[in-house]
Amino acid sequence: MPMPDNTACNNCALHNTAGLKKLGIDTANVDYVVALAGNPNTGKSTVFNALTGMRQHTGNWPGKTVVRAEGGFSYNSHKYKLIDLPGTYSLLSTSQDEEVARNFILFGRPDVTVIVVDASRLERNLNLTLQVLEITDKAVLCLNLIDEAARHHIKIDQRALARDLGIPVVPTTARSQQGIPELLKAIDDVATGAIICRPHKVKNLSKPVEKAVKQLAGALEQQFPGLPNSRWLAFRLLEGDSRITAAVKNNELKELVRP
Amino acid sequence: MTEAEKDNEILARAAGLRWQLGDNFHDKLTEGIYTDAAQIAAHAVETPAGERHYTFDSKIDKIVTSKTWGFPIMIGLLAVILWITIEGANYPSGMLFTLLIDTVHPLLKSLAAHIGLPLWLDGLLIDGIYLAVAWVVAVMLPPMAIFFPLFTLLEDFGYLPRVAFNMDALFKKAGAHGKQALTMSMGWGCNAAGVIATRIIDSPRERLIAIITNNFSLCNGRWPTQILIATIFIGALVPASLSGLVASAAVIGIALLGVAFMFLTSWGLSKTVLKGEVSTFTLELPPYRPPRIWQTIYTSVIDRTLIVLWRAVIFAAPAGAVIWLVANVHIGDITIANHVIDFLDPLGVFVGLNGVILLAYIIAIPANEIVIPTILMLTVANLGLIGVGDTSGKLFELDSAMATGSILSAGGWTLLTGINLMLFSLLHNPCSTTIYTIYKETNSWKWTTLASLLPVIMGLVVTFLVTQFWHLIWLMPEVKP
Amino acid sequence: MNPAALNLIGFFALVALLWLAIRLITRKNILHTKTRQQKTLTEDILKQLYHVEQSQRSATLSDLSGALKVRRSKILPVIEAMAASGLIQTSDDRLQLTPAGREYALKIVRVHRLWEKYLAEKTGHQPSEWHHLAEKMEHRLDEAAISNLSASLGNPLFDPHGDPIPSAKGEVLPVKWQPLPSYPENVPGKIVHIEDEPGVIYQQILARRILVGSHVKIRKSTAREIVFTCEGHQHRLSPIVAANISVGPLATEEHYQENAIRLSALREGEQARVIGISQECRGASRRRLLDLGILPGTTVEVDFTSPLQDPVAYKIRNTTIALRQDLADLILIKKTNTHAYAG
Repeated sequence: MPMPDNTACNNCALHNTAGLKKLGIDTANVDYVVALAGNPNTGKSTVFNALTGMRQHTGNWPGKTVVRAEGGFSYNSHKYKLIDLPGTYSLLSTSQDEEVARNFILFGRPDVTVIVVDASRLERNLNLTLQVLEITDKAVLCLNLIDEAARHHIKIDQRALARDLGIPVVPTTARSQQGIPELLKAIDDVATGAIICRPHKVKNLSKPVEKAVKQLAGALEQQFPGLPNSRWLAFRLLEGDSRITAAVKNNELKELVRP
Repeated sequence: MTEAEKDNEILARAAGLRWQLGDNFHDKLTEGIYTDAAQIAAHAVETPAGERHYTFDSKIDKIVTSKTWGFPIMIGLLAVILWITIEGANYPSGMLFTLLIDTVHPLLKSLAAHIGLPLWLDGLLIDGIYLAVAWVVAVMLPPMAIFFPLFTLLEDFGYLPRVAFNMDALFKKAGAHGKQALTMSMGWGCNAAGVIATRIIDSPRERLIAIITNNFSLCNGRWPTQILIATIFIGALVPASLSGLVASAAVIGIALLGVAFMFLTSWGLSKTVLKGEVSTFTLELPPYRPPRIWQTIYTSVIDRTLIVLWRAVIFAAPAGAVIWLVANVHIGDITIANHVIDFLDPLGVFVGLNGVILLAYIIAIPANEIVIPTILMLTVANLGLIGVGDTSGKLFELDSAMATGSILSAGGWTLLTGINLMLFSLLHNPCSTTIYTIYKETNSWKWTTLASLLPVIMGLVVTFLVTQFWHLIWLMPEVKP
Repeated sequence: MNPAALNLIGFFALVALLWLAIRLITRKNILHTKTRQQKTLTEDILKQLYHVEQSQRSATLSDLSGALKVRRSKILPVIEAMAASGLIQTSDDRLQLTPAGREYALKIVRVHRLWEKYLAEKTGHQPSEWHHLAEKMEHRLDEAAISNLSASLGNPLFDPHGDPIPSAKGEVLPVKWQPLPSYPENVPGKIVHIEDEPGVIYQQILARRILVGSHVKIRKSTAREIVFTCEGHQHRLSPIVAANISVGPLATEEHYQENAIRLSALREGEQARVIGISQECRGASRRRLLDLGILPGTTVEVDFTSPLQDPVAYKIRNTTIALRQDLADLILIKKTNTHAYAG
């Protein structure tokens, strides 16, 4: 049966529709779901507006978006839904914002996660980036505020960065729309599988921690073969995360295994 | 082994491993991640060596946070914003008034008469609902459309976090967060917007404090009430040449009293009901960024002004209906309003107000803007005055403060009533838009109830004390009008 | 008399009455049933006997009555009931725990310490309030709630005062502590425990901001006073106060930080390296500092200071972060070199 044009993408509904529904995301007529993560005050909302053409207010404040914003765009005849996650410094702590963000990336399994970072403050922003890469292997780094970095004579070797992180890196200045077409293309490439990410996994854990994580991750993989983020789940279980504990108990982790 | 047992084995394993790792797992994990981050950053980033960066930002920061200039710059900017708002809002507010109330209202009335709408429906829809909504829009829209964009420009530039930084030591003493200085200032524009703005406070305890105490900021719906009453009752105490000055001083005094109550209540909350809430303080000071003026004006009008205005309109419409109904439906041979006023009057007089004022604050809960017109309407209707103002049981305002004063005096108002109304206008429950917003932001009936009842209880206690001490000092026995 | 005066008197009388009523209800637990009070007393006795046993002493009925501040006539029937149900045994007038009683006591101690840990990590209550609140809560939790609590805290090993938390099976980690007065002079050590009872002494220690986890070195120890350095400050304490602070040796991977000072002592133009965050910085605050990249080895310098002197903005990993003094007190640093301004 020929598919009508407006649902052109036959095999691209890779995202987990049931999981997203549970999180309140309507995926009808959407080909791909993209999550937008980032530190506070990195211009994340500006990137959101630049991608969707919406005009959400963006303030020069750490931690502006508390309520989750949604928007849509289409690229290359694919329809995208964009979810703006709360700006957080980390995904490891207990605040409500962080819980929303990490559970969305983990259980919502977006097709692509765009991590917006402030180019002048890369080191601090990589903390969050590396955590996201422990959860998902489909991500794009949006190196925003690149004009500001240039003004401060900070040079960034984006190729080295892309190689080290194992994901596409796109420099942007979202407020003047610079780099947005390239960002759209990178999102599309990762979503369709034209680019396969090999995300960096954290290497410098102290020996006892690494050992414990390895053991627990091994046990998880044995129980749920094909689990893509067993290390992250091990981090969380060792921290006593009640949401993950519950997911182990009621076998919800099984749904995280990609077919 | 069943699946459930295997899962529990995983949890048991996690617990066992955690026991071996000791208590600083989180520290170690974060250290590990940051070590990787530092390595990757060192590999990819080339920073100019030897030279100190961000000198431009540093220079601004040295000035705006200096001992000498920090506070003068802050107060100066705030004064300029308030001045532009008050001056700038006058003209468009007057225009909206002429348009919506003086032009469109009679037009609607004649249209209704033309199509033969029943009188009660005409009254309910046009004198009730339409008039209340028009009133709220005319009074509320212009100052908000000026105040919020100005504030947002400072926010986008990056100046506001510096204000929080400068003010934090004062707020810390009251158990609050420096950013509350900003949400408080936003409250002077509109409490509902101020409550939404508390999202910038990332510490749970301090955010709740900021939400609950925002109502102590005298919002722009209450400034006109304060100015009118101060002109009639306090300005009249001194020679005419000074009266404007004295009245303004009285209004500023009330606003400052609100700040004092804000600090006091914050301190009290942090020491009692909120002491168990989590509290952290770190404040990131972002770099300065040139604001985009047009985008800012557009988004702040859309995001802040219109959303809040829309909520206010939704609440004002039914209130308009209720106001019209109580003033026009008769039970026996007097209106519902008069029944309620008679019932509330003893309590009102006890705290130095009167039944009309209490009823006005109850039915005008959606918007402080319509309190004065409601009071005037109820006073006239209650006294059965003929030939003064509008006696047809609908909202109205008079052109001169003097004429308003004479209606109020006829209603038994004294200097004491005036002072108490000013106090009660500062200290009473938040408007329903704000209450709704507080519920949306806290998601808790407990905190919404506390935030709604605390100020009105304080208001009644304060007006009661003022009244009784007033009588005590003047040694006058209670005189009932 | 003036009616206004009457009104005012009436009002203030009403306020006073209300205040008294609230105090009475919160202080005296008068709403509790008799059986609840019995259970509470039983558990308090078990815990007290456990503590007595730990310090290798034994207790009589009068000791208990004194320690728990409950009349003998009230304790006696409870003791008899406890002996009858096999929780305690008496020899002469000495009271002792039976194995069953010890098990029960360990459970109470476990809840108490877990709850203190919870209060420290997940709420904003002050350290001086923890003990009192935990005393109330320890009588209320059931087995499932306790294990959930423990799991959500990541099955912690120690409570915030440094006491080991018994495991669900009743295992207690052995501790190697010495009271500060008997710790050898000039040997680096670490504060591992601060006793929270009696409250008066605990308050004194808290007021000096002497914290669990801090490195110490005793300079002079006499019968009249103990002089020691702790985080760049020299303290003098009387032996009776110092005895409530326990010190243990440093672990092998730890190095005594001779010149460690608090971040709050850093001045403009100076540069420093972070040594660590004090154990007293817990919960959300600790996590936030870690998230911002304040970790051992991180370089910090003062960026600028608020006009009222607090908070201070620090330059950390190329970002500007303002911290209040009380939090900056909990970050230990070592000065590196003074930074020269360009321009």
